[in-house]
Amino acid sequence: MEKEILEHGLNFNRRRFLSRMSLGLGSVALGSLLMPDLFRSSGADEDGFTPGMPHFAPKAKRVIYLFQNGAPSQQELFDYKPKLRELMGQDLPPSVRGTQRLTGMTANQKEFPLVGSFVDFKQYGESRAWVSDLMPYTAGVVDDLCFVKSMYTEAINHDPALTFIQTGSQQGNRPSMGAWLSYGLGNENKNLPAFTVLLSRGIGNGQGVYSKLWSNGFLDSVHQGVQFSKGEDPVLYLRDPEGMTRTERRAMLDNLAQLNDLSYQEFGDPEIAAKVQQYEMAYRMQTAVPTVLDVSKEPDDIIKLYGPDCLVPGTFAANCLMARKLSENGVRFVQLYHQGWDQHGNLPFEIAKQAKDVDQASAALITDLKQRGLLDETLVIWGGEFGRTSYTQGKLTKDNYGRDHHPRCFTIWMAGGGIKPGIVYGETDEMGYNIAQNPVHVHDFQATVLNQLGLNHEKLVFKYQGRRFRLTDVSGKVIHDIIA
Amino acid sequence: MSNKIIGWAEQGLFAVSVFIGFLLLFESQLVVPVWLQPVGRMHPLLLHFPLVMLLLAVGLEAFRFGATPETSAVYKKLAATLLLAGTLLAAVAVIMGLLLSKEVGYTGEVVVWHKWAGVGVFFLATLLYWSRNKSWYSPMVARTGAVLMGLVLTGAGHYGAALTHGTDFITAPMAQYQKKVPVDVQQAVVFADVIQPIFEQKCITCHNANKLKGELALHDAASVQKGGKTGKLFVAGKPDISLLLQRIHLPMDEKKHMPPTGKAQLTPAEIRLLSLWVKGQANPGGADFNKRVLDLPASDSLRMMAVALFTPIKPAEPEFDFKAADDETVKKLNTDYRTVAFLAKESPALAVNLYNKATYSAGQLKELSAVKKQVVSLNLNKLPVKDADLTYIGQLENLQRLDLNFTDVTGKGLRELLPLKHLESLALSGTKTTYADLNGQLPNFKKLRALTLWETGITSGEIEKLRKANPGIQIIAGFDGDKSAPIRLNVPQMANNSPIFSESIRAQIIHPVKGVQIRYTTDGTEPDSINSPIFDKSVLLTKPTSINAKAYKSGWYSSPVVTFDYYKRTHKPDSATLLYPLNPVHLAAGANTFFDNRLGTFTANSPAWANNWAGFRANPMGLITEFKKPVRVSSVALRIMEEEETGIFPPEVIEIWGGTSRETLKLIATMKPEQPTQKRPHLLKAITCTFAPQTVSYLKIFARPVSKIPDWHASKGGKALLLVDEVLIN
Repeated sequence: MEKEILEHGLNFNRRRFLSRMSLGLGSVALGSLLMPDLFRSSGADEDGFTPGMPHFAPKAKRVIYLFQNGAPSQQELFDYKPKLRELMGQDLPPSVRGTQRLTGMTANQKEFPLVGSFVDFKQYGESRAWVSDLMPYTAGVVDDLCFVKSMYTEAINHDPALTFIQTGSQQGNRPSMGAWLSYGLGNENKNLPAFTVLLSRGIGNGQGVYSKLWSNGFLDSVHQGVQFSKGEDPVLYLRDPEGMTRTERRAMLDNLAQLNDLSYQEFGDPEIAAKVQQYEMAYRMQTAVPTVLDVSKEPDDIIKLYGPDCLVPGTFAANCLMARKLSENGVRFVQLYHQGWDQHGNLPFEIAKQAKDVDQASAALITDLKQRGLLDETLVIWGGEFGRTSYTQGKLTKDNYGRDHHPRCFTIWMAGGGIKPGIVYGETDEMGYNIAQNPVHVHDFQATVLNQLGLNHEKLVFKYQGRRFRLTDVSGKVIHDIIA
Repeated sequence: MSNKIIGWAEQGLFAVSVFIGFLLLFESQLVVPVWLQPVGRMHPLLLHFPLVMLLLAVGLEAFRFGATPETSAVYKKLAATLLLAGTLLAAVAVIMGLLLSKEVGYTGEVVVWHKWAGVGVFFLATLLYWSRNKSWYSPMVARTGAVLMGLVLTGAGHYGAALTHGTDFITAPMAQYQKKVPVDVQQAVVFADVIQPIFEQKCITCHNANKLKGELALHDAASVQKGGKTGKLFVAGKPDISLLLQRIHLPMDEKKHMPPTGKAQLTPAEIRLLSLWVKGQANPGGADFNKRVLDLPASDSLRMMAVALFTPIKPAEPEFDFKAADDETVKKLNTDYRTVAFLAKESPALAVNLYNKATYSAGQLKELSAVKKQVVSLNLNKLPVKDADLTYIGQLENLQRLDLNFTDVTGKGLRELLPLKHLESLALSGTKTTYADLNGQLPNFKKLRALTLWETGITSGEIEKLRKANPGIQIIAGFDGDKSAPIRLNVPQMANNSPIFSESIRAQIIHPVKGVQIRYTTDGTEPDSINSPIFDKSVLLTKPTSINAKAYKSGWYSSPVVTFDYYKRTHKPDSATLLYPLNPVHLAAGANTFFDNRLGTFTANSPAWANNWAGFRANPMGLITEFKKPVRVSSVALRIMEEEETGIFPPEVIEIWGGTSRETLKLIATMKPEQPTQKRPHLLKAITCTFAPQTVSYLKIFARPVSKIPDWHASKGGKALLLVDEVLIN
């Protein structure tokens, strides 16, 4: 009997428990109706973001990033420091250097003699910006440029610094800036990739560039940068093999797409869909690329503007011209890399040649975009991954010296795309070693670039492995003072 | 019957408890659909019912254990039912409140306090309801519960009222100061709108008309000028010795530091504003307390800082007074060659880009009539757009930006664009627009701000006239190569795959710029533009030759001179082997490097450097070449790089050994190449070793790198590097 009572009690409790439970679950279910995203596993639109749709009306629609790979010396180009000439040969005061970590290349140096620029500076334009004699053409367009002299980064060596400025993280595997923009804004022209990469090489000491810098990271692979090469085939394997007609190619792609569709049905892997899209894009690129890249019809004025090297494939000038043509045809992000700026030694000789390689074409790009009415919606960026030291690396002789890596300050310029023209933002101290005013972190720079393209850097997120990732990681603020 | 209702109600109470708990747990994810918002807004309407019921119920609870209530069935039932009903209604109020709090504007401390007080009311009431029949529920517990309930209810009510009426609603009639309305920068006065607010925020609680600490008041200009017990607040133009700033700058632990410890301190920006203001007092008119911010000179630091206080941080978003087209229409208009995209997520405006010359037709523009109100930007650059096609563009009534660069339109077509009342930017570069067309039409485009006319054939004089006549429009003429200073041509290029030949070669030298004349010499002199022969397509060479070439074109400076070395190699060995290992970082293609016809370059960055130079340092070069058919040879040349600066030297000695078998090689020739004796520019050259002609099947080429770099060099004493890219056997 006792047993029955116990069982009854248990049953009663279990029944009560279950019925209560159902009530409770019902309530939870009702509540969950009000939380549409609660059980969604991944979804970039959690923060109200729709891929391919800016958060607000953009000032710039496209970016051309003239990346000066190897870190150009700001002291010889744009950051005028007459004091360094006065202090020539004197040791950098330890108070200025503070506790800074140096690279393995100068950490063992016994002294750090300051060295002024071997080249003179003058002021130009209405903005009276200082530009060195190595950059005469750039000096001619200063009123269209916004110099940021107070950039700083966290890395001291090329690879991490490059990766940092391109992807927002010093370690690899994150999407590059161009990939984020492709993801955030989508293609403007469906016949060309949204993100393209062009490489060139100067005479100076070079540092590598590699495809991780234009990686899509964890984003869909359609956002990867497409490298255009200098040869006869700017995009490799784009040509149909001999004897293959367009109709045959079309039929082949259609059949392939059917096969891919079958495996998509089976496995549901989004990469399969991405692959099909890429095949289709490549098919359209087959007709688009040759016309877009044809320079034979460019008027003489253009050749004179960019300099005759723009007709020599693989030069910086040719890449600038190509960048304009791609950008004009709706490529969101054209990334150039020009190697050879790593002047640890022999700086006066090498930097003069480097500057000559890029000066005319960089300035030409600004003028050319302007005369087509495109500069206001195209953001042009010129700069490297960090700066160079005010002291010499190696021996200081009368006419020769070198400069080591310097993450604490460097100069870049931006133009167009809703950036204030004809201004200089930020200042370094008189030794050009530390930032005196308005520091701009790499993440701030990235946030500002995204802002110009209508994207809120805090909302351009992608959820991957349980974390929402951003280009600006967990920091960055838009520099409103340089926005027109 | 009534028991059944109570039973249902109790079940319901459990359910809502869970529901509320869940909502609170995942509150950050809560999204209230529009249709549910009215329910939330009924929160203020409903909340008075549970308030009264619960107050009554806990009142009854407090006295429940008295003699009369204990025996009154009505009392018992009323207490229980009131508490249950009150709790349920409180639950509804809480849910409504949570929904309401998701609407815009409900942020801040008061909301948080009110929310948790309300939630507290509900859960406390639920707790009371479930425990009121437990054995431990003594009169003491009942009374404590009742008092607690009363307190929490009052709290919830108070914060709720503060939400609707404002925190200072009750004390407002007594408050002395009223909140300032935001001031426009145009009207802003330096003292009243920049300086006085600092005093008001940080100083005035102790220094006002009622409370004159240190006999100082800061509530108006007169008092500020008067100063306090210790004296005047400032010396015009000298912030350093002004009492006001001295007190501010005293260290925190100093008793006279202002504001005193524990009070809100001045920010660096505020201190700087005060300092600049005191400094500015010495300027002409600076002592005027009614001076406006904008009356200060533009370069004045105080003005710049002050203006920043009033400037809105974000520029206003462009606003459009038309509705968005529906997504389906927009989607349908998107094709492979026409992109129709919303300007931004919330924007009704569309940007349209057309691409691909081959697929363009006017029909693509015609179809845009489906979104004719919404298109604000249209890009047709480089498409064969005709004047007639512009009719369709004229319908896009809100168009602001139109790009027609390098299209087939002429100035005649501009007429079609006159209906575009909002057109701000027009790009006509590379079109056949004429001055006459523009001169007549431009004034009709009232809103036009930017116009590009590069490569139109309109002369610079006419452009100037247009600029004068239309001062509101920025007219961009662009770059004119004919007017700019001449620039230097780049050097001609060799078009041959390799400059190495066995019998003869047609030297091909080209230039990328059209219309360039290449002149050349083969005798080592520099070509000139008159006497030197013109290079015409190709020149036949049968001997090793150095061609000096220069490019000329009128309107350009001639190119620098460039030298192209053509090398002859009559005999290519059937096999080649190296006797000693190469320098590990200069492996190139091993023994094959020397016969692959690919030349190395100076630039160490270039792939041609690493792939084409074979290097020797620790070991000498020992190359054995085999000819299946014996060959007659009279010279062997090594093509090398010399760059003394980086320690790359010519070989110290070259020996040529030959014979008919591997084992019977005899020394045929020895030579000691010329060495640099001081710093000199780097160079590429072939070092030739000639000897009496002989027939051989095997040749051994031996070359020893410089074993001791000479004393004049920075790396004296070390071993030099020898770099060889080709070996030429003749």
